[in-house]
Amino acid sequence: MNEFERQPWIDDARVLLDESTQALDAASLSRLNRARQAALAQRRPHRRAAWWLPAAGLACSGALLLAVVIWAPPRSTHPLIAAPGAHAAAAASVDGDAVAGDDSFDFYQDLEFYAWLDAQEQDSDG
Amino acid sequence: MTSDSTLDRFLRSIERRALRMAELASGNRDEALDLVQDAMFGFVRHYADKPEAEWTPLFYRVLDNRLNDWHRRRRVRTRWIEAFVRDDAGKSDTLAQVPDPSDPGPLLRLAGTQAARALDTALGGLPLRQRQAFLLRVWEGFDVATTAATMRCSQGSVKTHLSRALAALRRKLEAYQ
Repeated sequence: MNEFERQPWIDDARVLLDESTQALDAASLSRLNRARQAALAQRRPHRRAAWWLPAAGLACSGALLLAVVIWAPPRSTHPLIAAPGAHAAAAASVDGDAVAGDDSFDFYQDLEFYAWLDAQEQDSDG
Repeated sequence: MTSDSTLDRFLRSIERRALRMAELASGNRDEALDLVQDAMFGFVRHYADKPEAEWTPLFYRVLDNRLNDWHRRRRVRTRWIEAFVRDDAGKSDTLAQVPDPSDPGPLLRLAGTQAARALDTALGGLPLRQRQAFLLRVWEGFDVATTAATMRCSQGSVKTHLSRALAALRRKLEAYQ
């Protein structure tokens, strides 16, 4: 018989110790859980750090930028064949001129006369 | 190779006892949690691929190492203080104290939380090796050989530590009433 099996109070000690493990607070249990997960995580094969990913991303971005620079059509300085935004700006500018200048306004009013004159000349040529 | 779920189940089954053991040794819940986490890391790193039947003593061996290290560091820090408050429980000739089997014992005379607190205090006051011998032999149910392997000492030392622990605990619990 073991030296402690003869002492009945030791059974009570065992019970008390067992009970104390059931009385742990939630914070401690949570930390135990995290510790366990962290310990297990070290077993999982480490994924090799994808060091090449940022480099590849940078290279792709550079190539794309280069392609845009090389193949993009040169920006026209002519207002009527410029970018769509430029068309609007140019049209606004023309309208502005038409409104601002009296001569230009008269010109646009006589457009029908010029069109008729042009038609007459074509008829006479024909 | 051991699956994670098997290991998880094992660690889950042992973590609460390990925490209480570390807490009794350190006297501090946070320190105990750190010690248990270290033990889990060490166990998983070094022994996870050992046969499952060996896991429990191996885990306690790792924990025992951590507790010894912690105790050693603490002794260095508090060497001078400890010299004045050293517990002399291990010095007395407790082997001569033969328990009376008909006596219900000190814990039965205490009730509920009072008994738990008395036991905690008494266990916390034991020298580390005596406490480990008590917890591994009495609570964990290891035999002498397994306890000796876990504590990395001879079987004779385990018996001596346990005997002294039992005598000291009984005396402390009697004094608590």
